[in-house]
Amino acid sequence: MIETEQFHSIPQPEDISIREREDAMGAYLMMFAAIAAGLPLPIINLIASIIYYFINRGKSLFVKFHSLQSLLSQIPTSLINASGVFWAIRIIFYGAEFSNLFKGYLVFIGAVNIVYVIFSLIAAVKARKGNFYYFILFGKIAYLQTYIVKEVEQKIDVNLPPKL
Amino acid sequence: MELYVTRQESYSRGELILRTLFGLLYIAIPHLFLLLFIGLWSSILTFISWWTILFTGRYPQSFFEFQVKMLRWNLGVSASLYNLVDGYPPFGLNAENDKIKLEIPYPESLSRGTLLLKSFLGIFYCILPHAFCLYFRMIWSAILGFIAFWAVLFTGNYPEGWHAFNVGTIRWSYRLNLYIGYFMSDEYPPFSGK
Repeated sequence: MIETEQFHSIPQPEDISIREREDAMGAYLMMFAAIAAGLPLPIINLIASIIYYFINRGKSLFVKFHSLQSLLSQIPTSLINASGVFWAIRIIFYGAEFSNLFKGYLVFIGAVNIVYVIFSLIAAVKARKGNFYYFILFGKIAYLQTYIVKEVEQKIDVNLPPKL
Repeated sequence: MELYVTRQESYSRGELILRTLFGLLYIAIPHLFLLLFIGLWSSILTFISWWTILFTGRYPQSFFEFQVKMLRWNLGVSASLYNLVDGYPPFGLNAENDKIKLEIPYPESLSRGTLLLKSFLGIFYCILPHAFCLYFRMIWSAILGFIAFWAVLFTGNYPEGWHAFNVGTIRWSYRLNLYIGYFMSDEYPPFSGK
């Protein structure tokens, strides 16, 4: 165990049960939810990640961290993909121009998704091994949200005279 | 796998008529509407579990427990709609239903080879032979269910053998689903409802 003053201790792989590891790994695999559901809508992945986070956040801090990191990284990817889908719908059904800008955007979407899938798979494998894996930006946010010790302020019930 | 549906000593004629006339409205629609979303989630978990089994040889335990709870809920609704039990099936994954029992032992490991075999060739060696037999069994179950309706209406009693046969049909289909649909078992389902 590594103790810090403001943060909960970080568990080591030997402290994490196989069940927690599998639950943490599952968070990253939610990126395939749309394929599994048979609905080619990127928003399905995001919804699945949100559901997964809320189901699993109470299980352990390790699971919560990975679920949150997966959810946070899913947000920009889903938005980028969803905007691509809407653009494509406008082209197919409403006669918008199949412009070079759209082609460029498709390449951009492809690149983003490849990077996203690779990093998510690495994170899934790490989670399965009981390790932490920090994405750029999202890893830090997820860690802060999960492991910071929140002090609960005790409200003392005091009777006061009226403001004069 | 253990699957039981309690056979009551006596059945309510009023509930039987109510279920037959309005069961679709007050049992099937509310439950199946919720089970539609639960089923969607279940299919996502099944897909992920498939890959997990392939790479790790294990079905994630939380996913497994979710699937069991969903199947239990489903069984409660089916048992009620088939007039096998009286009472309204409870809502929810964690709801207690003392009229049914579904226990599926968690397999510590699953074979990757069997997974690939049933995924790619399962239709030939499992789905087709079982579907062929189950088709005729389900026809007979439907006939027995129809006759049992009249038996319950006039006597208040569901004949024991017919009840066991109809529960056996459900048991058979569940075993088949566990093996080929959910990948939750490596045991080839027997050609029997017992």
